Amino acid sequence: MHVYIYDTFVSDKKHMNKVSRVETRITDLGLNGKIVRLGLISSVSNAIENEIKKGAKTIIAVGDKQILSQAVNAMAQLLAHETIGQSVPLGFIPIGKKDILTADFLGVGSAELACDILSQRRIEILDLGQANNSYFLFSAVIPTEYTTIEIDENYTIEIKEPGEIGVINLPLGFNLPQTAQTDPADGSLELVVKTAQGKKYLPGKQGSSNQGVFAFNKLRIINKKYPVLLDGVKKLTSPVDIHLAPMKISLIIGKNRKF
Amino acid sequence: MFKDLKKDTDAKQAETVIGASVKVKGNFHGDGDIIIKGEVEGNVKTKNFLLVDKSAKVSADVSAKDACIGGKISGNIKVSDYLEIKSSARISGDIHAKELSIEKGAILNGQCHMGDNQRKESEHKNP
Repeated sequence: MHVYIYDTFVSDKKHMNKVSRVETRITDLGLNGKIVRLGLISSVSNAIENEIKKGAKTIIAVGDKQILSQAVNAMAQLLAHETIGQSVPLGFIPIGKKDILTADFLGVGSAELACDILSQRRIEILDLGQANNSYFLFSAVIPTEYTTIEIDENYTIEIKEPGEIGVINLPLGFNLPQTAQTDPADGSLELVVKTAQGKKYLPGKQGSSNQGVFAFNKLRIINKKYPVLLDGVKKLTSPVDIHLAPMKISLIIGKNRKF
Repeated sequence: MFKDLKKDTDAKQAETVIGASVKVKGNFHGDGDIIIKGEVEGNVKTKNFLLVDKSAKVSADVSAKDACIGGKISGNIKVSDYLEIKSSARISGDIHAKELSIEKGAILNGQCHMGDNQRKESEHKNP
């Protein structure tokens, strides 16, 4: 059974037409299932856990990257506690203009196209990053200012120019230098440093000499001023320990995915 | 003729790139190629290729299979195969390498040990 988890804002009037078109398309494709509408105090984690216990075979997050991130987290927590198995995949139907980038990156496209992607059921098993007790699918990002990173308990790095540090699994919204080649299924995360000078690309050129790329097993981010931002949604205060999560997530994606 | 290691190094293949604005402190050990353009204090060790760019400042003992040095190094350099020292290099420390090339203009203050030490030792023991 498909279970559609609707974010709170999806019920807004302005999304009514789009949601209606999505529901029609879902019916046409024979992908009908249960709709769970989140309230202001409902927990995505509880909703997903309950539905999987009741026999849900596919979970679909309907909304923006916030609910996608929450669903990824919830499923990772359930996988960690062996409440669910790897076989329950997660799909995504984007609602709202803010999430064109996320949907495009996953090859899901528009809301209606996302229904077709669900029906094609192309599943990729992807790595996850773990930051303290939270999980991320895309990246963990923090400004370089005031940041020290301890890597593998062997060495530390400090960055002398303003910029961004990203621990990358999937490089959504993070222009990687030429040197960094990320693969979300290779069993590793990459630490990428991008400074202000490094952003000044020449037309037609990518990357810059002013960037850093590090392979690591585990690292600790220390910054007393700024939090670490997971998947552009969740903030964690320092210190934050990051490593590859022991579990992977099954994600339904489109063939035009950008990774 | 010696090959040009720097040209052969594809930055895409480098496992680690220490950018010009990055400062590393501690024991930095890697299995893949390493490119250093920033500052390093401590030890650097890789089983593959090490490139120390002309903008780099390294206060550390370094060890690699092959290396190309164009920056400033205060520390000993141990390379099991081929070490190339560019004209922009400023080295204060001893170097150990099987093969070596030094470009005109490079500054080297330290002792230089060359050849395949392991092979020589074994030949000496079993003539």
